[in-house]
Amino acid sequence: MLDQAFVALQKFNWGTSLNEVAGIEDAVVTAHTDADLRKDLEQRLIAVLSTDVSADAKGYVCRKLAIVGSPAAVPALGGLLTQEDNAHLARQALERIPGPEAAAALKDALPRLSGKLKIGVIGSLGARREAGAIGTLAGLLGDSDRAVARAATLALAAIGGAEAAQVLTGALRASTGDKLPLIIDALLSCAESLLANHKRTEAAAIYKSFCGDEHPRLVRLAANRGLLACNSQQT
Amino acid sequence: MSEHKPSAGTDSNVSRRDFLKTTGVAGAALAVPYFVSSSALGNSQRPAASDRIVVGGIGIGNQGRGDQGDFLRQKEVQYVAMCDVREANREQSKGRIDQHYGNKDCQVYNDFRELLARPDIDAVHIATPDHWHAIMVIEACRHGKDVYCQKPETLTLREGPLMVAAARRYGRIVSGGSQRVLEDYRKYVDPVWAGEYGKIKSINVSVWPLPQLCNLPAEEMSEKIDWDMWLGPAAWGPYNSKRCSGSFSIDGSSWRSFSDYSGGGMTDWGAHHFGGATFICDVRDLQPQEVVYNDTPDGKYLAYNYPTGLTIYHNRPKFGNLHIEGTPGETVAPKAVPQYKGSGGIHGDFIHCVKTRELPFRDIERAVNTCVLAHLGNIAYQLKRSLKWDAAAQQFVDDAEANRMVDRARREPWQL
Repeated sequence: MLDQAFVALQKFNWGTSLNEVAGIEDAVVTAHTDADLRKDLEQRLIAVLSTDVSADAKGYVCRKLAIVGSPAAVPALGGLLTQEDNAHLARQALERIPGPEAAAALKDALPRLSGKLKIGVIGSLGARREAGAIGTLAGLLGDSDRAVARAATLALAAIGGAEAAQVLTGALRASTGDKLPLIIDALLSCAESLLANHKRTEAAAIYKSFCGDEHPRLVRLAANRGLLACNSQQT
Repeated sequence: MSEHKPSAGTDSNVSRRDFLKTTGVAGAALAVPYFVSSSALGNSQRPAASDRIVVGGIGIGNQGRGDQGDFLRQKEVQYVAMCDVREANREQSKGRIDQHYGNKDCQVYNDFRELLARPDIDAVHIATPDHWHAIMVIEACRHGKDVYCQKPETLTLREGPLMVAAARRYGRIVSGGSQRVLEDYRKYVDPVWAGEYGKIKSINVSVWPLPQLCNLPAEEMSEKIDWDMWLGPAAWGPYNSKRCSGSFSIDGSSWRSFSDYSGGGMTDWGAHHFGGATFICDVRDLQPQEVVYNDTPDGKYLAYNYPTGLTIYHNRPKFGNLHIEGTPGETVAPKAVPQYKGSGGIHGDFIHCVKTRELPFRDIERAVNTCVLAHLGNIAYQLKRSLKWDAAAQQFVDDAEANRMVDRARREPWQL
């Protein structure tokens, strides 16, 4: 049944019944307790990505590699990051495959990308909470493409912690205008992650910096709520 | 009709001045009008402008129209704007709102970010397909809006905590959208909370089907719709009327059937039934610690086990929906049953809480806890195995594949 499914995958396209690839679906489940099947399944899925099957078929394969993929799948998936039709679902797999290989593939792709594809990869680094990408993301906060800068801000917020907060604090000082609300939001998010990790002093320092009257009411409200949370954790 | 095209990129188009106005600092000194209209002062039918809640709606299809009507019936509400990626929905909605107020003032938008950037809007209601909910709720909170979000509030397990965090960060009132949790299941809630069943051992929820991947072929576009915005963070797929139909069917003929946009029947009706079950059993603030997958000759079913000892079954063979197993004869102290605040059902509850800053009946955290049941169930059925869930860490225990299903990548340029 698995063999038949891979044959069907060669002609898989929009409108193809999913029953034709059900064998792959079943193998993904069975592979949980069958290491040999998992390795074989992954290799066959990887191989499909280097053929001229439809973008829909490659997307289907990426969805499966998101569940069973290992670092062995990273080179094939990384190759899709520059392809508009498949970059998103390739990222779906790369966001989930553990280990430094997937993170490196995402980081290494950034210089080759622009616009939406670059934004997608930045978002995936954030989704992975890739602390090793903080330096790279810091360099994108001032990107001339405002959407790229925005994506980097959101990614740093997702990563959280002291290092991301330090980068964002620097960006806050250097920024004006409509970049400010999102950077502040990202810093508040970092403060929450610090507090969740019992780093009250660091979290409180961020909150205190936004309590002054020079800040909008919404920000002051958030900062004061955060300070209360810090205080309640102390008691 | 005033209409706005989608913005390029993902900037929210909010200037610092807009931001200050939104949050009432710079705007406070500038916003005093030279003349105050009788409408602004209020009359016997309408409260003064200062007491009104300015509302906008996002996603005004089948469900959104119902919510819109309920909000228009709230006398404190001044409904000023709506957003939808379908031109027909925009035209219909504007006509309805303008007729309601006897003017032409309702502004319509194709891009929700433009609506959220309006500093005059206090609250929004969201009734888009589920794959948009988290992004919109979080962005609305960032803009200082209170939010009424239709159920199912989340599409993935990861989205829930982020939505709750955004609501709490900015002190926003964010209500989920199942009116049935209180209104349909009172006949079970009242006797259980009165202690008549003793301690509850289990309850069964019957709801179906699971979501399916959508692989429908391309169709000629039969309506004026911004397809890229409809898809938003979901994987790209060609236009097909069934893919994006707002029909309430879950049989493959609406977006509710498909996993890129919905959790299928498990979340769609599950938001009601699981919500009712957790209310009946008073575990609205908890999440289960495991979901046990059973494959028997009588059918597949799940058992969600809670740290309190309660079990919520899903599709337990030979048991009806909301069948309750209690401990008759065991004495349990009666409790007061929570009610909506304000008047006008769940929508009135939300509006009341916007004014008073109390938590609404269907506070987002409780709504998220309900969605968790549906998502855990979908993953257990898909993987065909039992799963242990660490609610504090929001991850599965010792199951790498299941943990890969906690969230999914969003199509560029969308991010949480």
